[in-house]
Amino acid sequence: MARALHSGFIRSAELFPKRPAIEVEGQILAYRELYAKAVSIAATLQDRAPVVEPPFTAVFAYRSITSFVGVLAALFRGHGYVPLNPTFPSDRTRTMLLRSGCSTIVVDRESTKQLDEIFQGITQPMLVVMPDAVEVAEFSRKWPRHTFLGARNLASSGVWQPTTAPPNSIAYLLFTSGSTGIPKGVMVSHSSVTHFVDFMVKRYQITEEDRFSQNFDMTFDLSAFDMFVAWQRGACVCCPSAKNLISPARFIQNSALTVWFSVPSVGLFMKRLGLLKPNRFPSLRWSLFCGEALPADIAQDWVAAAPNSVVENLYGPTELTIACTLYRWDPQRSPAECHFGTVPIGRPYPDMHTIITDDDLKEVSPGQVGELLVTGPQLSLGYWRDAERTAAAFVTPHGKKETYYRTGDRVRSPLKGTDPIVYLGRTDHQVKVRGHRLELGEVEAVLKQQPGVDSAVAIGWPLTTSGAGGVVAFVTGTSVKENVLRNSVGAILPSYAVPREIRILPQLPLNVNGKVDRGALCSMLEAKP
Amino acid sequence: MSPIAASEIRTFILGCLQGPLEAKGLCPSSVPDDFDLSTEGIIDSMGMVELVVALEHQFDARLDFDELDPESLTVIGPLCRYIEKRIGTKTSTAQGFRAMGQE
Repeated sequence: MARALHSGFIRSAELFPKRPAIEVEGQILAYRELYAKAVSIAATLQDRAPVVEPPFTAVFAYRSITSFVGVLAALFRGHGYVPLNPTFPSDRTRTMLLRSGCSTIVVDRESTKQLDEIFQGITQPMLVVMPDAVEVAEFSRKWPRHTFLGARNLASSGVWQPTTAPPNSIAYLLFTSGSTGIPKGVMVSHSSVTHFVDFMVKRYQITEEDRFSQNFDMTFDLSAFDMFVAWQRGACVCCPSAKNLISPARFIQNSALTVWFSVPSVGLFMKRLGLLKPNRFPSLRWSLFCGEALPADIAQDWVAAAPNSVVENLYGPTELTIACTLYRWDPQRSPAECHFGTVPIGRPYPDMHTIITDDDLKEVSPGQVGELLVTGPQLSLGYWRDAERTAAAFVTPHGKKETYYRTGDRVRSPLKGTDPIVYLGRTDHQVKVRGHRLELGEVEAVLKQQPGVDSAVAIGWPLTTSGAGGVVAFVTGTSVKENVLRNSVGAILPSYAVPREIRILPQLPLNVNGKVDRGALCSMLEAKP
Repeated sequence: MSPIAASEIRTFILGCLQGPLEAKGLCPSSVPDDFDLSTEGIIDSMGMVELVVALEHQFDARLDFDELDPESLTVIGPLCRYIEKRIGTKTSTAQGFRAMGQE
């Protein structure tokens, strides 16, 4: 039966009140403590903003206790949470805030530094909850249209009235890269996430003894796995500091992790620096990878480094709620099932259904290549306030009654029902840059907005076994300078999307059809890396 | 035979990172020994991999950071001294050198 996403946490807070729920940089909060903090903010939201439309609360925080508290508080309030990342440029965060329509926001200590920039141009009155701030008077004087509440202004937890969210209401609204240059908000319902969480908890036999890595920022939907799968069974979520992010081996050992979940790029990084040594991580019992193609050599080396763990490759776009297919690595069988050194994405989760189609959305024959379409209870609700792009991506193929999501991923159709689906690449110009999903069109759109730029093409480069290491752009125009362009787009795009190099050309190469010849641009990069 | 000094490694690393350092208003020559490339937002994990690849190419060595205190991995002074220790005593020039006993 469908239920609210946070119900698992509440149950664990009753069963395991004294067990650790989160660890952030050595600071540990037990379930009852995290629960009390979240309830206090939820009560404040209820008290100070009784009617909020749309029913969202933004959480502007990064790797802090308040980021977790904010997520739970939004859900306790009956709102969907909208994660915002202070490491992103302020313009981007403001765009997300405006597009979501949020009028309530929870802000952690570090993120308050950006509030002045974020609030430029926001006319709608906001309720700003700052649980880490003792004094908020200065903000109130500077921004009189908004209401600021600090730690002293939070409501008593006794005021909180539990609210029930309908199963199809939005649990989180998560913005992903959009080809027009404007991020699109994916609406994910409580029922979709709880379906995912229930399956994961059962499959991995999670208990209160488990300790999960929390490698992902909240704006990456894979973070929902760490939080809600762990909290469903009273386990602890261990969030590394920014420093530990670049020392994952130490993080695993010092935190005695039992469940590891990351993009494969982290494994690639560890292997390259010589940190993936045999039997290095005996505490791990599950090693899960998602977010980009998993290279077979990383899976092999990880099995040796974490000999007590099972390695699984998870696959799924945000639109299908975190992950919807999986493949278990078998040291004997799997190497033969890999395609050019890439681990298959496996078979769909129970109740999820996949079809592989041609350009006309007709199913291809077994063994043929086509686009992967997926449906089932984890299908998201579409894009927030964007009917056009929702209609384009959520379709009903020939002969089907259900709505499927077009993943844009090219796969090989299995010959037999038990064979794994093999990932081959993208059907469009989307790339994974270090696990981050990026529409190259977004980079191009932002570049074209800059003064003097006539045309722009972005390429994922250098290519890696997992996707791309970064972005290189080619532009034409008058009086354009690379440094100026880089600084300008750096103020708009997240760091992973900012081109590491911008080559200014007199004209872009065209193919016989008069379209930009991306192959020729790649050849230029290969000739002069 | 002249060993590669930590100062030479430091100059090379900061030269590789000149762009991001200058973008933050920092002069490569004035970066202190305890400057942390990660917490200062100069480098992330993929940038670290690229830096290691560049170092290996420049000094013709295969680097392994398993024995480096993880706290020091991205701190410029200890990082350079570790690399110096790993490769510095076994070559006469920056090129034409192969570190021994490493994978």
